[in-house]
Amino acid sequence: MISIDAASPVPPFEQLRAQLARQIQDRTLAVGTRLPTLRRLAADLGLAVNTVGRAYRELEEAGLIETRGSAGSFVSAAGEQGRERASRAAADYAAVIAGLGIDTNEAIRIVRTALTTGISVSPATHNPKEA
Amino acid sequence: MPKGTSPGADLSVRPADLERAGVWLTGHGLADVRPTALLATRLEVRRRARLAASVLLAAFLIAVALTYTGGTVDGSGDRRWSLLVLTALVVGLVLAQSSLDWWVRRVDRRAGATLPRRAAHPVRLGWRTVLGRPRAAFAVATFAGGTAPAIGTLTLDDPTARYAAVILLIGLCGLAVGVVVQLRHVLTHPVVADDEVSLTADVIMRVEDARVGAAPTAVWSVWSLPVVSVFSTAFGWWNAAWVAFIVLSVIALALIEARTARSAAVARNAMSAP
Repeated sequence: MISIDAASPVPPFEQLRAQLARQIQDRTLAVGTRLPTLRRLAADLGLAVNTVGRAYRELEEAGLIETRGSAGSFVSAAGEQGRERASRAAADYAAVIAGLGIDTNEAIRIVRTALTTGISVSPATHNPKEA
Repeated sequence: MPKGTSPGADLSVRPADLERAGVWLTGHGLADVRPTALLATRLEVRRRARLAASVLLAAFLIAVALTYTGGTVDGSGDRRWSLLVLTALVVGLVLAQSSLDWWVRRVDRRAGATLPRRAAHPVRLGWRTVLGRPRAAFAVATFAGGTAPAIGTLTLDDPTARYAAVILLIGLCGLAVGVVVQLRHVLTHPVVADDEVSLTADVIMRVEDARVGAAPTAVWSVWSLPVVSVFSTAFGWWNAAWVAFIVLSVIALALIEARTARSAAVARNAMSAP
């Protein structure tokens, strides 16, 4: 279910984008699922078509959905690929942690700090292919 | 906030409507949900629209019967006029049904506009979910079963039987268009919900609207017109075929009702499925 609260300080397009992104990431919306049309979802949620269009556009730029012409918008396989990429990165990180002899709690703390404060990728570790 | 409430809704409803909404919720396995003004308003407009649609269909059948008998008063009759009147009746029926649908959707839209919070499905509910394949196939088969003998009759030499068949075909075409228009409205009108309960209730209403719209009662009614008496006087087997058609379709409908999920179960599945 998607819900839009008009009284919320969060803009409607961001409420919609965040909820759809979460449902795609937690697989509530499976790869290949057809999303409602802009007009249909806008009517259902009492929003302007442009508002829904902006949310869809940002999801598309993030690779979570893809638009196939007049057939509509679908949940993209890129969302699944992104999860696999994150899993591979986590495995690499785990290998580094094991190599350095850092304990698990410390390793989790480092990850949590990075997630909450923002990830800064140094030029030395940045891989252009991953961008 | 209790489940199913709409704090921003400014809908005035009669206590009787709220009571009916409570009974409706209980009948659909939502006994623990408090009936809201939003739900009561939506259910009441549907109740009135269905009543009006039934009266409309009865009036249509009577008018078609009168057109038919009027067209055969003087033996040949001015059948061209009769067919024109009949065509106008069919168009009028479709327009009137569309107006009733428009009225329901307008009330829904106004109710939805009062909601400070709006909820919707992240996926589109299609006809397979709302109506289901068995009912869709049954509706098509019923129309085909009603149409095929009439088309066969057009090949006969008997002008009276052919005239009756044309009237029957026009009536069936009008009903088919009406059903398609109604189903399109059911599938395309916006959701009116502010939480999971009202979203579930919306799907239940959608499923029930679709099932009522696709029910073959109108086809049975059209077939029971005086037109049938022409076939029965001309061909004895028409009566037997007609009775068999009715009996078989009633059995098929009963089986579909028994073997397919109830509207509340369909709604829960739609809510839980991605």
